[in-house]
Amino acid sequence: MKLVAVVFLSCLATLIPVSRAAAQGTDLAVIVNPNNPVTNVSSADLRKIFSGGKRSWPGGIPVKLIVRAPGSHERLVLLRLLGMSESEYKQYWTAQVFRGEADTEPYTVPSFGMVKEAAVIFPGAISLVEAQNVKSGMPLKVIKVDGRLPGDAGYPLH
Amino acid sequence: MVVTGLGGAQTAPPADQETISLLVQQVKELQQHDRELQERIRFLEANQKGTATPNPPPSTPEVAPVPEAQAAPPQLLEMHTLHGIQWRGFAELDYKALDQRAPELGTYGFNPGSAGNFYTGDFDLFLTSRLTERASVLSEIDFEEGGAQSFKTDLRRMLLKYDVNDHLKISLGRYQTSIGYYNWAFRSAAWLQTTADRPLVMEFASDGGLLPTQAVGISVTGSIPSGTLGLHYIGEYGSSDTVRPDITNSGLLNDENNSNHVNAGVFLSPDRIPGLRIGGSIYHDQISDLVSLAAGGGSSTPPPGSTVPSASARWNQTIVNGHIVYVGRGFEFLNEAFLIRHAPIGTGETFNTPAFYSQFSRKFGPVRPFARFQWVNASPRNTIYDDVQLRFGPSFGLRYDPNDYIALKAQLDHTARRGLPDLNGLHLQMAVTF
Repeated sequence: MKLVAVVFLSCLATLIPVSRAAAQGTDLAVIVNPNNPVTNVSSADLRKIFSGGKRSWPGGIPVKLIVRAPGSHERLVLLRLLGMSESEYKQYWTAQVFRGEADTEPYTVPSFGMVKEAAVIFPGAISLVEAQNVKSGMPLKVIKVDGRLPGDAGYPLH
Repeated sequence: MVVTGLGGAQTAPPADQETISLLVQQVKELQQHDRELQERIRFLEANQKGTATPNPPPSTPEVAPVPEAQAAPPQLLEMHTLHGIQWRGFAELDYKALDQRAPELGTYGFNPGSAGNFYTGDFDLFLTSRLTERASVLSEIDFEEGGAQSFKTDLRRMLLKYDVNDHLKISLGRYQTSIGYYNWAFRSAAWLQTTADRPLVMEFASDGGLLPTQAVGISVTGSIPSGTLGLHYIGEYGSSDTVRPDITNSGLLNDENNSNHVNAGVFLSPDRIPGLRIGGSIYHDQISDLVSLAAGGGSSTPPPGSTVPSASARWNQTIVNGHIVYVGRGFEFLNEAFLIRHAPIGTGETFNTPAFYSQFSRKFGPVRPFARFQWVNASPRNTIYDDVQLRFGPSFGLRYDPNDYIALKAQLDHTARRGLPDLNGLHLQMAVTF
Protein backbone atom coordinates (compact mmCIF):
# COMPACT_ATOMS: atom_id res chain seq x y z
CA MET A 1 0.00 0.00 0.00
CA LYS A 2 2.83 2.32 0.95
CA LEU A 3 4.59 1.47 -2.30
CA VAL A 4 1.47 2.31 -4.31
CA ALA A 5 1.21 5.65 -2.55
CA VAL A 6 4.88 6.45 -3.26
CA VAL A 7 4.47 5.51 -6.94
CA PHE A 8 1.28 7.60 -7.17
CA LEU A 9 2.91 10.63 -5.57
CA SER A 10 5.98 10.24 -7.80
CA CYS A 11 3.75 10.20 -10.87
CA LEU A 12 1.90 13.26 -9.60
CA ALA A 13 5.19 15.05 -8.98
CA THR A 14 6.32 14.38 -12.54
CA LEU A 15 3.02 15.70 -13.86
CA ILE A 16 3.13 19.02 -12.00
CA PRO A 17 5.88 20.68 -14.09
CA VAL A 18 4.16 19.42 -17.23
CA SER A 19 0.83 20.97 -16.25
CA ARG A 20 2.56 24.23 -15.20
CA ALA A 21 4.34 24.34 -18.54
CA ALA A 22 1.08 23.59 -20.34
CA ALA A 23 -0.63 26.34 -18.38
CA GLN A 24 2.15 28.78 -19.23
CA GLY A 25 1.72 27.74 -22.85
CA THR A 26 -1.81 29.15 -22.97
CA ASP A 27 -1.42 31.96 -20.44
CA LEU A 28 -1.08 35.53 -21.59
CA ALA A 29 1.64 37.70 -20.14
CA VAL A 30 1.14 41.39 -19.46
CA ILE A 31 4.16 43.16 -20.89
CA VAL A 32 5.28 46.74 -20.44
CA ASN A 33 8.25 48.85 -21.40
CA PRO A 34 11.34 47.63 -19.49
CA ASN A 35 11.74 51.06 -17.86
CA ASN A 36 8.24 51.01 -16.40
CA PRO A 37 8.61 50.79 -12.60
CA VAL A 38 5.34 48.87 -12.17
CA THR A 39 5.77 45.21 -11.23
CA ASN A 40 2.20 44.17 -10.40
CA VAL A 41 -1.35 45.16 -11.32
CA SER A 42 -4.67 43.93 -10.05
CA SER A 43 -7.22 42.42 -12.43
CA ALA A 44 -9.50 45.38 -11.76
CA ASP A 45 -6.73 47.85 -12.64
CA LEU A 46 -5.90 45.87 -15.75
CA ARG A 47 -9.54 46.15 -16.81
CA LYS A 48 -9.44 49.88 -16.14
CA ILE A 49 -6.21 50.27 -18.11
CA PHE A 50 -7.46 48.35 -21.14
CA SER A 51 -10.81 50.14 -21.08
CA GLY A 52 -9.13 53.56 -20.98
CA GLY A 53 -10.31 54.35 -17.46
CA LYS A 54 -6.77 54.56 -16.11
CA ARG A 55 -4.63 56.54 -18.47
CA SER A 56 -1.35 57.18 -16.73
CA TRP A 57 1.23 55.13 -14.88
CA PRO A 58 2.59 56.13 -11.50
CA GLY A 59 4.94 58.96 -12.35
CA GLY A 60 2.58 60.37 -14.92
CA ILE A 61 3.70 58.51 -18.04
CA PRO A 62 0.64 58.18 -20.33
CA VAL A 63 -0.53 54.62 -20.88
CA LYS A 64 -0.16 53.44 -24.47
CA LEU A 65 -2.39 50.49 -25.25
CA ILE A 66 -1.08 48.02 -27.80
CA VAL A 67 -3.60 45.34 -28.72
CA ARG A 68 -3.60 42.49 -31.19
CA ALA A 69 -5.84 42.40 -34.23
CA PRO A 70 -9.21 40.60 -34.17
CA GLY A 71 -9.01 36.84 -34.41
CA SER A 72 -5.93 36.40 -32.25
CA HIS A 73 -5.88 34.60 -28.91
CA GLU A 74 -4.76 37.79 -27.19
CA ARG A 75 -7.75 39.67 -28.60
CA LEU A 76 -10.19 37.03 -27.35
CA VAL A 77 -8.72 37.19 -23.84
CA LEU A 78 -8.86 40.99 -23.92
CA LEU A 79 -12.54 40.93 -24.89
CA ARG A 80 -13.23 38.45 -22.11
CA LEU A 81 -11.41 40.68 -19.63
CA LEU A 82 -13.56 43.64 -20.66
CA GLY A 83 -16.79 41.63 -20.98
CA MET A 84 -17.41 42.83 -24.53
CA SER A 85 -17.96 41.37 -27.96
CA GLU A 86 -15.80 42.50 -30.87
CA SER A 87 -18.46 44.90 -32.15
CA GLU A 88 -19.10 46.25 -28.63
CA TYR A 89 -15.36 46.81 -28.23
CA LYS A 90 -15.18 48.81 -31.46
CA GLN A 91 -18.24 50.84 -30.54
CA TYR A 92 -16.88 51.41 -27.05
CA TRP A 93 -13.62 52.87 -28.34
CA THR A 94 -15.33 54.99 -30.94
CA ALA A 95 -17.38 56.44 -28.09
CA GLN A 96 -14.36 56.90 -25.81
CA VAL A 97 -12.51 58.93 -28.44
CA PHE A 98 -15.62 60.90 -29.38
CA ARG A 99 -16.33 61.75 -25.75
CA GLY A 100 -12.80 63.05 -25.41
CA GLU A 101 -12.06 60.41 -22.80
CA ALA A 102 -9.24 59.05 -24.95
CA ASP A 103 -7.07 60.73 -27.55
CA THR A 104 -6.73 57.65 -29.69
CA GLU A 105 -8.06 54.15 -29.93
CA PRO A 106 -5.60 51.47 -28.81
CA TYR A 107 -2.92 50.72 -31.38
CA THR A 108 -3.88 47.53 -33.12
CA VAL A 109 -0.99 45.44 -34.43
CA PRO A 110 -1.05 42.19 -36.34
CA SER A 111 1.92 40.35 -34.81
CA PHE A 112 3.89 39.68 -31.70
CA GLY A 113 6.94 41.22 -33.37
CA MET A 114 5.14 44.54 -33.69
CA VAL A 115 3.93 44.38 -30.10
CA LYS A 116 7.49 43.80 -29.02
CA GLU A 117 8.72 46.73 -31.06
CA ALA A 118 5.98 49.05 -29.81
CA ALA A 119 6.60 48.06 -26.19
CA VAL A 120 10.24 49.05 -26.55
CA ILE A 121 9.53 52.36 -28.28
CA PHE A 122 6.64 53.68 -26.16
CA PRO A 123 7.58 54.28 -22.48
CA GLY A 124 3.96 53.79 -21.39
CA ALA A 125 3.24 50.74 -23.52
CA ILE A 126 1.26 47.79 -22.21
CA SER A 127 0.07 44.74 -24.08
CA LEU A 128 -1.10 41.17 -23.71
CA VAL A 129 1.05 38.53 -25.40
CA GLU A 130 1.24 34.75 -25.29
CA ALA A 131 3.60 33.96 -22.44
CA GLN A 132 5.38 31.28 -24.44
CA ASN A 133 6.56 33.93 -26.92
CA VAL A 134 8.36 35.94 -24.27
CA LYS A 135 11.95 34.75 -24.08
CA SER A 136 14.64 35.79 -21.69
CA GLY A 137 16.83 38.49 -23.17
CA MET A 138 13.92 40.19 -24.93
CA PRO A 139 13.65 43.90 -24.11
CA LEU A 140 10.28 43.38 -22.42
CA LYS A 141 9.09 43.39 -18.85
CA VAL A 142 6.45 40.93 -17.72
CA ILE A 143 4.42 42.22 -14.79
CA LYS A 144 2.38 40.21 -12.31
CA VAL A 145 -1.39 40.18 -12.27
CA ASP A 146 -2.88 39.89 -8.80
CA GLY A 147 0.62 38.90 -7.62
CA ARG A 148 0.90 36.00 -10.06
CA LEU A 149 3.00 35.36 -13.13
CA PRO A 150 1.96 33.28 -16.16
CA GLY A 151 2.06 29.61 -15.25
CA ASP A 152 1.26 30.24 -11.58
CA ALA A 153 -1.84 28.61 -10.20
CA GLY A 154 -4.79 30.97 -10.32
CA TYR A 155 -3.25 33.25 -12.96
CA PRO A 156 -6.27 35.01 -14.46
CA LEU A 157 -5.28 35.57 -18.10
CA HIS A 158 -5.47 32.51 -20.33
CA MET B 1 14.94 16.68 -40.16
CA VAL B 2 14.29 18.16 -36.76
CA VAL B 3 12.79 14.89 -35.60
CA THR B 4 15.83 13.02 -36.88
CA GLY B 5 18.06 15.54 -35.20
CA LEU B 6 16.15 15.18 -31.95
CA GLY B 7 16.34 11.38 -32.24
CA GLY B 8 20.09 11.63 -32.72
CA ALA B 9 20.39 13.84 -29.69
CA GLN B 10 19.58 10.88 -27.48
CA THR B 11 23.06 9.39 -28.10
CA ALA B 12 25.11 12.35 -29.34
CA PRO B 13 28.09 13.65 -27.36
CA PRO B 14 27.53 16.80 -25.24
CA ALA B 15 29.08 19.19 -27.83
CA ASP B 16 26.71 17.89 -30.51
CA GLN B 17 23.79 18.10 -28.11
CA GLU B 18 24.52 21.78 -27.62
CA THR B 19 24.63 22.34 -31.38
CA ILE B 20 21.37 20.46 -31.80
CA SER B 21 19.73 22.53 -29.06
CA LEU B 22 20.84 25.71 -30.81
CA LEU B 23 19.51 24.45 -34.12
CA VAL B 24 16.17 23.49 -32.57
CA GLN B 25 15.99 26.94 -30.99
CA GLN B 26 16.70 28.57 -34.35
CA VAL B 27 14.07 26.43 -36.06
CA LYS B 28 11.52 27.47 -33.42
CA GLU B 29 12.40 31.14 -33.89
CA LEU B 30 12.11 30.80 -37.67
CA GLN B 31 8.74 29.11 -37.29
CA GLN B 32 7.59 31.93 -35.02
CA HIS B 33 8.87 34.51 -37.49
CA ASP B 34 7.07 32.69 -40.30
CA ARG B 35 3.82 32.69 -38.30
CA GLU B 36 4.17 36.42 -37.71
CA LEU B 37 4.82 37.11 -41.38
CA GLN B 38 1.82 35.00 -42.39
CA GLU B 39 -0.31 36.85 -39.88
CA ARG B 40 0.93 40.21 -41.14
CA ILE B 41 0.19 39.22 -44.75
CA ARG B 42 -3.34 38.15 -43.79
CA PHE B 43 -3.88 41.44 -41.97
CA LEU B 44 -2.58 43.52 -44.88
CA GLU B 45 -4.70 41.55 -47.35
CA ALA B 46 -7.76 42.03 -45.19
CA ASN B 47 -7.04 45.77 -44.98
CA GLN B 48 -6.61 46.05 -48.74
CA LYS B 49 -9.94 44.30 -49.29
CA GLY B 50 -11.57 46.72 -46.90
CA THR B 51 -10.43 49.80 -48.83
CA ALA B 52 -11.41 50.56 -52.36
CA THR B 53 -8.42 52.77 -53.13
CA PRO B 54 -5.30 50.93 -54.23
CA ASN B 55 -3.04 52.62 -51.69
CA PRO B 56 0.31 50.97 -51.23
CA PRO B 57 0.49 49.06 -47.94
CA PRO B 58 2.27 50.85 -45.13
CA SER B 59 5.89 49.88 -44.80
CA THR B 60 6.28 47.08 -42.32
CA PRO B 61 8.85 47.64 -39.64
CA GLU B 62 11.71 45.26 -39.12
CA VAL B 63 11.31 42.91 -36.20
CA ALA B 64 15.01 43.03 -35.56
CA PRO B 65 15.97 45.37 -32.69
CA VAL B 66 16.31 49.00 -33.69
CA PRO B 67 18.87 51.20 -31.97
CA GLU B 68 17.09 53.35 -29.37
CA ALA B 69 18.32 56.63 -30.87
CA GLN B 70 16.95 55.79 -34.31
CA ALA B 71 13.74 54.23 -33.09
CA ALA B 72 10.55 55.56 -34.61
CA PRO B 73 6.99 54.48 -33.86
CA PRO B 74 6.05 51.43 -35.90
CA GLN B 75 3.75 51.90 -38.86
CA LEU B 76 0.60 50.91 -37.06
CA LEU B 77 -2.41 50.25 -39.20
CA GLU B 78 -5.02 52.66 -37.94
CA MET B 79 -8.03 53.37 -40.12
CA HIS B 80 -8.86 56.71 -38.56
CA THR B 81 -5.43 58.28 -38.36
CA LEU B 82 -4.09 60.73 -40.90
CA HIS B 83 -0.75 62.42 -40.26
CA GLY B 84 -1.25 62.07 -36.52
CA ILE B 85 -4.82 63.38 -36.58
CA GLN B 86 -7.53 61.01 -35.46
CA TRP B 87 -10.75 61.66 -37.30
CA ARG B 88 -14.25 60.32 -37.22
CA GLY B 89 -17.45 61.13 -39.04
CA PHE B 90 -21.05 60.60 -38.06
CA ALA B 91 -24.08 61.05 -40.25
CA GLU B 92 -27.74 60.19 -40.25
CA LEU B 93 -30.70 60.03 -42.56
CA ASP B 94 -34.13 60.21 -40.96
CA TYR B 95 -37.74 59.79 -41.86
CA LYS B 96 -40.32 61.00 -39.38
CA ALA B 97 -44.10 61.03 -39.39
CA LEU B 98 -46.11 62.72 -36.66
CA ASP B 99 -49.88 62.88 -36.35
CA GLN B 100 -49.70 66.48 -35.19
CA ARG B 101 -52.84 68.51 -35.48
CA ALA B 102 -51.06 71.57 -34.07
CA PRO B 103 -47.57 71.61 -35.63
CA GLU B 104 -44.56 71.46 -33.32
CA LEU B 105 -41.02 70.14 -32.93
CA GLY B 106 -39.66 71.57 -36.15
CA THR B 107 -36.02 70.70 -35.64
CA TYR B 108 -33.31 68.80 -37.49
CA GLY B 109 -35.02 69.40 -40.83
CA PHE B 110 -38.36 67.91 -39.82
CA ASN B 111 -41.17 70.03 -41.25
CA PRO B 112 -43.79 70.69 -38.62
CA GLY B 113 -47.23 70.18 -39.97
CA SER B 114 -46.21 67.72 -42.65
CA ALA B 115 -47.52 64.18 -42.56
CA GLY B 116 -43.95 62.95 -42.71
CA ASN B 117 -40.68 63.83 -44.38
CA PHE B 118 -37.05 62.87 -44.86
CA TYR B 119 -34.20 64.87 -43.39
CA THR B 120 -30.50 64.45 -42.74
CA GLY B 121 -30.22 65.58 -39.13
CA ASP B 122 -26.64 66.00 -37.94
CA PHE B 123 -23.53 65.52 -40.05
CA ASP B 124 -20.65 65.52 -37.65
CA LEU B 125 -16.91 65.71 -38.24
CA PHE B 126 -14.66 65.01 -35.30
CA LEU B 127 -10.91 65.58 -35.12
CA THR B 128 -8.44 65.03 -32.34
CA SER B 129 -4.71 65.33 -32.34
CA ARG B 130 -2.04 64.87 -29.71
CA LEU B 131 0.23 67.88 -29.35
CA THR B 132 2.55 66.52 -26.67
CA GLU B 133 2.49 63.46 -24.43
CA ARG B 134 -0.07 65.20 -22.22
CA ALA B 135 -1.67 67.85 -24.38
CA SER B 136 -4.10 67.36 -27.21
CA VAL B 137 -6.68 69.27 -29.18
CA LEU B 138 -10.20 68.12 -29.97
CA SER B 139 -12.75 69.62 -32.29
CA GLU B 140 -16.21 68.69 -33.44
CA ILE B 141 -17.94 70.45 -36.30
CA ASP B 142 -21.58 69.81 -36.91
CA PHE B 143 -23.62 70.53 -40.03
CA GLU B 144 -27.25 70.46 -39.00
CA GLU B 145 -30.22 70.58 -41.29
CA GLY B 146 -32.65 73.39 -40.63
CA GLY B 147 -35.87 74.31 -42.39
CA ALA B 148 -36.24 74.07 -46.18
CA GLN B 149 -33.08 71.96 -46.49
CA SER B 150 -30.84 74.76 -45.30
CA PHE B 151 -27.81 73.81 -43.23
CA LYS B 152 -26.13 75.57 -40.35
CA THR B 153 -22.63 74.98 -39.07
CA ASP B 154 -21.99 74.64 -35.38
CA LEU B 155 -18.65 74.27 -33.66
CA ARG B 156 -19.98 71.87 -31.05
CA ARG B 157 -16.64 71.42 -29.32
CA MET B 158 -13.18 72.91 -29.58
CA LEU B 159 -10.99 71.96 -26.68
CA LEU B 160 -7.38 72.24 -25.74
CA LYS B 161 -6.83 69.40 -23.30
CA TYR B 162 -4.07 68.82 -20.84
CA ASP B 163 -3.91 65.64 -18.76
CA VAL B 164 -1.71 66.17 -15.73
CA ASN B 165 -2.49 62.65 -14.54
CA ASP B 166 -5.56 60.49 -13.87
CA HIS B 167 -6.58 62.84 -11.04
CA LEU B 168 -6.49 66.09 -12.98
CA LYS B 169 -7.46 66.58 -16.61
CA ILE B 170 -8.00 70.14 -17.76
CA SER B 171 -9.90 71.27 -20.85
CA LEU B 172 -10.20 74.81 -22.17
CA GLY B 173 -12.53 75.92 -24.92
CA ARG B 174 -16.03 75.14 -26.09
CA TYR B 175 -17.42 72.05 -24.41
CA GLN B 176 -20.67 70.22 -23.89
CA THR B 177 -21.79 70.66 -20.33
CA SER B 178 -21.66 67.63 -18.06
CA ILE B 179 -25.19 68.02 -16.76
CA GLY B 180 -26.24 64.43 -16.57
CA TYR B 181 -25.01 61.31 -18.27
CA TYR B 182 -26.60 61.53 -21.70
CA ASN B 183 -24.82 64.66 -22.86
CA TRP B 184 -21.50 63.20 -21.77
CA ALA B 185 -22.06 59.74 -23.22
CA PHE B 186 -23.59 60.35 -26.62
CA ARG B 187 -22.60 63.91 -27.52
CA SER B 188 -24.15 64.57 -30.91
CA ALA B 189 -23.67 61.26 -32.68
CA ALA B 190 -26.90 59.45 -33.51
CA TRP B 191 -24.88 56.32 -34.26
CA LEU B 192 -23.80 56.10 -30.63
CA GLN B 193 -27.35 56.39 -29.32
CA THR B 194 -29.55 53.35 -29.10
CA THR B 195 -32.67 55.39 -29.78
CA ALA B 196 -33.33 57.49 -32.86
CA ASP B 197 -33.52 60.74 -30.89
CA ARG B 198 -32.52 62.20 -27.54
CA PRO B 199 -34.90 62.51 -24.61
CA LEU B 200 -36.50 65.98 -24.69
CA VAL B 201 -34.79 67.09 -21.51
CA MET B 202 -31.38 66.16 -22.98
CA GLU B 203 -32.05 67.57 -26.43
CA PHE B 204 -29.66 70.31 -27.50
CA ALA B 205 -30.94 73.70 -26.43
CA SER B 206 -30.77 74.98 -30.01
CA ASP B 207 -33.26 72.24 -30.89
CA GLY B 208 -35.72 72.97 -28.13
CA GLY B 209 -34.04 71.05 -25.30
CA LEU B 210 -34.39 72.32 -21.76
CA LEU B 211 -30.80 72.40 -20.55
CA PRO B 212 -27.80 74.59 -21.34
CA THR B 213 -25.95 71.91 -23.27
CA GLN B 214 -22.95 73.89 -24.49
CA ALA B 215 -20.58 76.47 -23.09
CA VAL B 216 -17.19 78.09 -23.43
CA GLY B 217 -14.84 77.97 -20.48
CA ILE B 218 -12.76 75.62 -18.41
CA SER B 219 -13.55 72.08 -17.43
CA VAL B 220 -11.64 69.87 -15.00
CA THR B 221 -12.20 66.23 -14.28
CA GLY B 222 -10.38 63.28 -12.78
CA SER B 223 -10.52 60.37 -10.42
CA ILE B 224 -10.56 60.71 -6.65
CA PRO B 225 -8.50 58.11 -4.75
CA SER B 226 -11.26 55.90 -3.38
CA GLY B 227 -10.15 52.30 -3.74
CA THR B 228 -12.65 50.10 -5.51
CA LEU B 229 -15.40 52.74 -5.46
CA GLY B 230 -14.04 54.46 -8.56
CA LEU B 231 -15.03 57.97 -7.54
CA HIS B 232 -14.65 60.78 -10.12
CA TYR B 233 -15.33 64.50 -10.10
CA ILE B 234 -16.26 67.06 -12.76
CA GLY B 235 -16.02 70.82 -12.44
CA GLU B 236 -16.96 73.42 -15.05
CA TYR B 237 -16.88 77.19 -15.14
CA GLY B 238 -17.90 78.94 -18.30
CA SER B 239 -20.31 80.98 -20.34
CA SER B 240 -23.31 79.34 -21.90
CA ASP B 241 -25.24 81.03 -24.65
CA THR B 242 -28.55 79.25 -24.59
CA VAL B 243 -31.04 80.25 -27.21
CA ARG B 244 -33.86 77.75 -27.45
CA PRO B 245 -36.78 77.85 -29.86
CA ASP B 246 -40.27 77.24 -28.58
CA ILE B 247 -41.12 73.64 -29.38
CA THR B 248 -44.73 74.59 -30.11
CA ASN B 249 -43.65 76.19 -33.39
CA SER B 250 -44.72 79.63 -32.19
CA GLY B 251 -41.66 81.02 -33.92
CA LEU B 252 -40.34 82.51 -30.70
CA LEU B 253 -36.80 82.18 -29.45
CA ASN B 254 -35.93 82.27 -25.77
CA ASP B 255 -32.52 83.87 -25.37
CA GLU B 256 -31.31 83.15 -21.85
CA ASN B 257 -28.44 85.63 -22.10
CA ASN B 258 -26.47 83.56 -19.62
CA SER B 259 -23.90 84.72 -17.11
CA ASN B 260 -21.00 82.48 -16.18
CA HIS B 261 -22.14 79.15 -14.82
CA VAL B 262 -20.66 76.79 -12.29
CA ASN B 263 -21.26 73.08 -12.58
CA ALA B 264 -19.95 70.48 -10.14
CA GLY B 265 -20.54 66.77 -10.22
CA VAL B 266 -19.35 63.48 -8.84
CA PHE B 267 -19.95 59.94 -9.98
CA LEU B 268 -18.74 56.52 -8.99
CA SER B 269 -18.00 53.49 -11.12
CA PRO B 270 -17.36 50.61 -8.71
CA ASP B 271 -14.80 48.00 -9.73
CA ARG B 272 -17.10 45.20 -8.64
CA ILE B 273 -19.80 46.06 -11.17
CA PRO B 274 -18.11 47.19 -14.38
CA GLY B 275 -20.52 49.31 -16.39
CA LEU B 276 -22.39 50.75 -13.41
CA ARG B 277 -22.26 54.50 -12.90
CA ILE B 278 -24.04 56.43 -10.18
CA GLY B 279 -23.68 60.16 -10.01
CA GLY B 280 -25.10 63.61 -9.78
CA SER B 281 -24.34 67.22 -10.50
CA ILE B 282 -25.47 70.70 -9.58
CA TYR B 283 -25.40 73.62 -12.00
CA HIS B 284 -25.98 77.28 -11.27
CA ASP B 285 -26.28 80.33 -13.49
CA GLN B 286 -28.09 83.66 -13.74
CA ILE B 287 -30.11 84.08 -16.89
CA SER B 288 -32.64 86.30 -18.63
CA ASP B 289 -35.59 85.29 -20.70
CA LEU B 290 -35.39 87.51 -23.73
CA VAL B 291 -38.04 86.51 -26.24
CA SER B 292 -37.58 87.29 -29.88
CA LEU B 293 -39.11 86.14 -33.12
CA ALA B 294 -37.07 83.57 -35.00
CA ALA B 295 -36.18 84.47 -38.59
CA GLY B 296 -38.77 82.83 -40.80
CA GLY B 297 -40.21 80.89 -37.92
CA GLY B 298 -43.84 79.82 -37.47
CA SER B 299 -46.64 82.02 -36.25
CA SER B 300 -45.73 85.35 -34.70
CA THR B 301 -48.35 85.18 -32.00
CA PRO B 302 -46.96 84.39 -28.55
CA PRO B 303 -48.70 81.45 -26.84
CA PRO B 304 -51.81 82.46 -24.88
CA GLY B 305 -51.03 83.44 -21.34
CA SER B 306 -47.31 83.92 -21.87
CA THR B 307 -45.67 87.20 -20.99
CA VAL B 308 -42.61 88.82 -22.45
CA PRO B 309 -40.36 89.81 -19.56
CA SER B 310 -38.28 92.92 -19.63
CA ALA B 311 -34.68 92.63 -20.76
CA SER B 312 -33.43 93.54 -17.31
CA ALA B 313 -35.27 90.70 -15.52
CA ARG B 314 -32.78 88.18 -14.18
CA TRP B 315 -33.45 84.68 -12.96
CA ASN B 316 -31.44 82.33 -10.81
CA GLN B 317 -31.22 79.00 -12.58
CA THR B 318 -30.22 75.88 -10.65
CA ILE B 319 -30.21 72.43 -12.21
CA VAL B 320 -29.80 69.32 -10.09
CA ASN B 321 -29.20 65.97 -11.75
CA GLY B 322 -29.01 62.41 -10.43
CA HIS B 323 -28.37 59.35 -12.54
CA ILE B 324 -27.99 55.60 -12.26
CA VAL B 325 -26.70 53.96 -15.38
CA TYR B 326 -25.66 50.44 -16.26
CA VAL B 327 -24.09 49.67 -19.62
CA GLY B 328 -22.51 46.26 -19.97
CA ARG B 329 -22.94 42.61 -20.93
CA GLY B 330 -25.33 43.63 -23.69
CA PHE B 331 -27.61 45.56 -21.34
CA GLU B 332 -28.23 49.30 -21.29
CA PHE B 333 -30.25 50.78 -18.46
CA LEU B 334 -30.23 54.58 -18.28
CA ASN B 335 -32.07 56.49 -15.58
CA GLU B 336 -31.74 60.22 -15.09
CA ALA B 337 -33.76 62.68 -13.07
CA PHE B 338 -33.55 66.48 -13.11
CA LEU B 339 -34.89 69.34 -11.09
CA ILE B 340 -34.63 72.64 -12.94
CA ARG B 341 -35.31 75.55 -10.63
CA HIS B 342 -35.96 79.06 -11.92
CA ALA B 343 -36.30 81.96 -9.50
CA PRO B 344 -36.89 85.48 -10.86
CA ILE B 345 -34.64 87.70 -8.74
CA GLY B 346 -36.50 90.03 -6.41
CA THR B 347 -39.92 88.43 -6.86
CA GLY B 348 -39.73 85.65 -4.27
CA GLU B 349 -41.24 83.30 -6.83
CA THR B 350 -39.72 79.98 -7.84
CA PHE B 351 -40.65 77.57 -10.60
CA ASN B 352 -39.56 73.97 -10.31
CA THR B 353 -39.45 71.83 -13.43
CA PRO B 354 -38.90 68.16 -12.62
CA ALA B 355 -38.03 65.80 -15.45
CA PHE B 356 -36.80 62.27 -15.90
CA TYR B 357 -36.28 59.60 -18.48
CA SER B 358 -35.66 55.89 -18.18
CA GLN B 359 -34.37 53.78 -21.02
CA PHE B 360 -33.78 50.04 -21.24
CA SER B 361 -32.34 47.97 -24.05
CA ARG B 362 -30.88 44.52 -24.49
CA LYS B 363 -28.64 43.36 -27.31
CA PHE B 364 -29.44 40.10 -29.09
CA GLY B 365 -26.68 39.70 -31.68
CA PRO B 366 -27.05 42.58 -34.14
CA VAL B 367 -30.52 43.51 -32.86
CA ARG B 368 -31.23 45.71 -29.86
CA PRO B 369 -34.86 46.33 -28.89
CA PHE B 370 -35.36 49.32 -26.62
CA ALA B 371 -38.00 51.06 -24.55
CA ARG B 372 -37.94 54.55 -23.07
CA PHE B 373 -40.25 56.59 -20.93
CA GLN B 374 -39.83 60.32 -20.43
CA TRP B 375 -41.65 62.89 -18.38
CA VAL B 376 -41.33 66.67 -18.04
CA ASN B 377 -43.58 68.94 -16.00
CA ALA B 378 -43.02 72.68 -16.39
CA SER B 379 -45.25 75.29 -14.85
CA PRO B 380 -47.37 77.14 -17.45
CA ARG B 381 -46.49 80.35 -15.56
CA ASN B 382 -42.76 79.78 -16.10
CA THR B 383 -42.21 81.94 -19.18
CA ILE B 384 -38.94 80.14 -19.95
CA TYR B 385 -40.69 76.78 -20.42
CA ASP B 386 -44.23 77.93 -21.20
CA ASP B 387 -44.04 75.95 -24.45
CA VAL B 388 -43.11 72.73 -22.64
CA GLN B 389 -45.61 72.38 -19.80
CA LEU B 390 -46.50 68.76 -18.95
CA ARG B 391 -45.57 66.13 -21.49
CA PHE B 392 -44.78 62.50 -21.05
CA GLY B 393 -44.90 59.21 -22.87
CA PRO B 394 -43.20 56.02 -23.95
CA SER B 395 -41.06 55.18 -26.96
CA PHE B 396 -40.44 51.69 -28.29
CA GLY B 397 -38.14 50.59 -31.04
CA LEU B 398 -35.46 48.45 -32.48
CA ARG B 399 -31.88 49.10 -33.47
CA TYR B 400 -30.26 46.78 -35.98
CA ASP B 401 -26.50 46.88 -36.67
CA PRO B 402 -25.79 45.05 -39.94
CA ASN B 403 -22.09 45.85 -39.44
CA ASP B 404 -19.80 47.98 -37.27
CA TYR B 405 -20.54 51.19 -39.15
CA ILE B 406 -24.27 51.32 -39.83
CA ALA B 407 -27.22 51.34 -37.47
CA LEU B 408 -30.81 51.09 -38.65
CA LYS B 409 -33.43 52.22 -36.16
CA ALA B 410 -37.20 52.21 -36.03
CA GLN B 411 -38.95 54.01 -33.18
CA LEU B 412 -42.56 54.61 -32.20
CA ASP B 413 -43.34 57.53 -29.88
CA HIS B 414 -46.39 58.53 -27.94
CA THR B 415 -46.45 61.87 -26.15
CA ALA B 416 -49.26 63.07 -23.94
CA ARG B 417 -49.44 66.86 -23.46
CA ARG B 418 -51.37 69.01 -21.02
CA GLY B 419 -54.21 70.81 -22.78
CA LEU B 420 -53.14 69.58 -26.22
CA PRO B 421 -53.88 66.46 -28.27
CA ASP B 422 -51.54 63.50 -27.82
CA LEU B 423 -48.78 63.05 -30.37
CA ASN B 424 -47.96 59.76 -32.05
CA GLY B 425 -44.85 59.45 -34.14
CA LEU B 426 -42.85 57.05 -36.26
CA HIS B 427 -39.14 57.74 -36.59
CA LEU B 428 -36.91 55.74 -38.95
CA GLN B 429 -33.20 56.40 -39.00
CA MET B 430 -30.05 55.20 -40.66
CA ALA B 431 -27.05 56.35 -38.61
CA VAL B 432 -23.51 55.77 -39.79
CA THR B 433 -20.00 56.30 -38.56
CA PHE B 434 -17.06 56.45 -40.91
